[in-house]
Amino acid sequence: MDSLLHLCGVVFDVVLAPLGHDRPEFDMLAWPVIAGVVALLVYKRVSNQKGIARAKNRIQVHLLEVVLYRDDLFAVLVATAKALGQNFLYLAYNIVPMLVMFAPITLVLVQLVAHYAYRPLEPGEPVLVQVELADSARSRAREIQLELPDGVTLDAPPVRTTDGRAAYRVVATEGDHVLRFTLGGEVQDKALAVGGENRKVPVLRGHGLDAVLYPGERALPSDSAFQTIKVSWEERGLGPFPSGEAGILVWFFVFSLAAGFLLKDRFGVTL
Amino acid sequence: MAWRSGAVLALALASCAPEPPDVPTMFVLGVDGMDPVILQRLMNEGKLPNLAALAREGGFSELGTVNPPQSPVAWSSFVTGLDPGGHGIFDFVHRDPVRYVPISSATPPVTDPGSAIEIAGYYFPIGAPEVLNNRGGVPFWDRLLDEGVDVEIFRVPGNYPPPESDAKVLSGMGTVDVRGGYGVYTWFTDQAVPDKESKKGDIQLVTVEDTDLDGTPDTVRANIKGTPDVFHLPPGKIPGDNDYLTAPINFYLDPDTDTVMVEALDDVAVLAEGEWSDWMTVSFDALPMGAMPFSGIVRFYAKELRPGFVVYASPVNIAPDSPAQPITTPEDFAEDLAAAMGDFYTQGMPEETNALKDTLFSDDDYQRQVALVQEDTRELIDVAMARLQPGDMGFVYVSDVDLQCHMLWRHGDPKHPGAPPHPAYEAAAASEHADDIEGYYRAVDDHLARIRAKLPADATLLVMSDHGFQPFRREVHLNTWLRDHGWLTLKEGKTTGQIAAGDVDWTRTRAYGIGFNAVYLNLAGREAEGIVKPGEASAVMAELSAQLLAVADPVDNARVIKSVSRSSEIYAATRRAEAPDLVVGYDAGYGASDESTLGEIVEGWIEDNTSRWSGNHLMDPSVVPGVLLSNKKIAAGPHDLMDVTVTVLHHYGVAPAEGMGGKPVLAD
Repeated sequence: MDSLLHLCGVVFDVVLAPLGHDRPEFDMLAWPVIAGVVALLVYKRVSNQKGIARAKNRIQVHLLEVVLYRDDLFAVLVATAKALGQNFLYLAYNIVPMLVMFAPITLVLVQLVAHYAYRPLEPGEPVLVQVELADSARSRAREIQLELPDGVTLDAPPVRTTDGRAAYRVVATEGDHVLRFTLGGEVQDKALAVGGENRKVPVLRGHGLDAVLYPGERALPSDSAFQTIKVSWEERGLGPFPSGEAGILVWFFVFSLAAGFLLKDRFGVTL
Repeated sequence: MAWRSGAVLALALASCAPEPPDVPTMFVLGVDGMDPVILQRLMNEGKLPNLAALAREGGFSELGTVNPPQSPVAWSSFVTGLDPGGHGIFDFVHRDPVRYVPISSATPPVTDPGSAIEIAGYYFPIGAPEVLNNRGGVPFWDRLLDEGVDVEIFRVPGNYPPPESDAKVLSGMGTVDVRGGYGVYTWFTDQAVPDKESKKGDIQLVTVEDTDLDGTPDTVRANIKGTPDVFHLPPGKIPGDNDYLTAPINFYLDPDTDTVMVEALDDVAVLAEGEWSDWMTVSFDALPMGAMPFSGIVRFYAKELRPGFVVYASPVNIAPDSPAQPITTPEDFAEDLAAAMGDFYTQGMPEETNALKDTLFSDDDYQRQVALVQEDTRELIDVAMARLQPGDMGFVYVSDVDLQCHMLWRHGDPKHPGAPPHPAYEAAAASEHADDIEGYYRAVDDHLARIRAKLPADATLLVMSDHGFQPFRREVHLNTWLRDHGWLTLKEGKTTGQIAAGDVDWTRTRAYGIGFNAVYLNLAGREAEGIVKPGEASAVMAELSAQLLAVADPVDNARVIKSVSRSSEIYAATRRAEAPDLVVGYDAGYGASDESTLGEIVEGWIEDNTSRWSGNHLMDPSVVPGVLLSNKKIAAGPHDLMDVTVTVLHHYGVAPAEGMGGKPVLAD
């Protein structure tokens, strides 16, 4: 899994940001359109197009019944119930294509987030680095050792909690630094991007779903004493586009849906 | 064809919009409480190079203030160009003549509480009354906007709740925190707090738990209060201590160092002793399952972590990126500002003066917090200047000088060097903080440099203050004086009491005070139990005025009251009926006590002011004039606040409205 995610990350590092990370326009416009088109093709292939067309037609028929027989309460109720039933059928036809598309769209989305949601720190800007230990190591937060590279210093003494967390406020000079955490014999690194141009900013190291959602670095081993290692980056502005994780997510879905609707007739797809 | 109709309509609308006048930018920096004497001295000493350069380039003059010289009154006059009789703000505190209770001057009393449907213990309001701004008149920004001038106004006092306007205006002094208060802080501590009922904040006694049983206490779980629990409050009920929504706050102490992790919602901060956190977001759920969350922003200060635990939380400010109540016009202007500068202080008086007044903060604690406010102000100025386009009108308000003069005057009188120590003088802190006020003047000088660096060369720049300052050495319990001289009578058997608590015998009371400078006759037909007949009012006022003007300080026989003005003689008629009958102008060094302002009658009528609130301006207007500086020549004076309003309008060719008595201050 880690290797697959890593490979995916390497590929996207190559294809994303063709204009550089300071120019998000291409990726913010192109990838939702690509996702919309791919979704159309997948939809056409895996969905029951005839069934969808039939369900839509019947919804229209029943809505027409509601209008025509509006003086007959019983007829209106029956027609409404039938329209509702066809709606559920229509939704059911959509489940399979949605499931098929979920994984690839998530992969693209998390890569856009990794590349564009956050900015590197300003030199000298304090930032919080938080470590959460796995359940098996919860009581060992005091034992965590942080090795700071040249150019990174602690801005305040660390706080280690009894529920297995540690937090470090650090400041750093410009550069791509690596923080090294040690617990017992295990050593894990966390990247810290400071200054320079906008670039991919790895938010969190974790495993399982965390590793999928935050693909900037290698996943932590599944048997690691560390659950997550996270840096509280600041969101970056994206000019006219919504920013941050939520902004990119909303933009991606809205724009890919719009692209899909605009292009559905060209691809002969019934939505 | 529809597009053609649309285009024609758009063109027609565009042609209706007024053409903006082709004049250079005008920018006004409003510095609350800047005093001409202190300013002149510091300029002479070369400590304010930018202000001195501005004075040389254009001019520097005293600026007459209003009567009474209180910030909400004065800034309302600047905003509208009207005297208090025109805009209806006469004091920080007004009174309800029916119930004889103090009421806020910022919002008129709501008589109809509205109604609600009760479902399963929740009250769902129907037709809840709208809380409106009490200020009358038309703000200058609306008049400019009508003429096509783009206006952006930042932190203007007395503009909360924001009256409807198309201009971009951020409300300043008077803007509440999420609790609806004016600076209700929270003090989390495991230490005893003497006299905690008298504190202006929420004192929370907490326990530091030893969750891992290693002998070192490590965790505090607490709650912070936020917005009133509106869905559990029947209409019209004033929230009690337990009627506020809460949000969980957790503190985790490191076992080996004096450092704490503060956790609020999803935000985490690490603080060493003596450090402030950045803004953290808290959310208050008014309905189950997060169906209606209200957001707020709060900063924490790790005052002491071991052996005693003391963490201070600022008042929870309205979050600018998702305001629970409007703080700007248009409403989304706050979100635009938040996008440009992140979270910022939205509370009207951002300095934590209450904690200093309550002696929970030392001067060092306070100074650290004021530094945050100053940083916030610098960022706001940068944003304001970046948004200012050629020809626009801009205004930024700065609170520092006013509040620091109020709080720090006791360390050394910057206006009268060599004056005897203030009654609230604290020797230990004085040596370190004696020159703090000068530092805040220098900060204004720095603000000016930032502004001028971005201002177009042809712009007109005004720097003005609403009033100056004096020491506040002796506090007067005016209601006690009225009792002692037979004007106010307490009920049988009482020698002290509270007007609002029903302790006054109104059948034998002719005058009472509610407000810092206000005296009201107990007038028949206006007050619920009035006894002074309208036909006798003038004679009664003459008698009372004469007695007040003769009041002498028992310590040195000095004059206590310099002027007593009848509202009928100094205010325009528009809203004069709401005004106090007499406005008391204290002489320099004297002022109303907080107790008397809220209608309390105490033992003695005058005493030393030992409060840290040690500088003041709620006096006779002549002893606390403000300042006016400009990069353009200032015409021969005297000038007053309302002249500045007319000057702004005049700059854009807008004629003064009816009732505006000011005149342009700049020489043509």
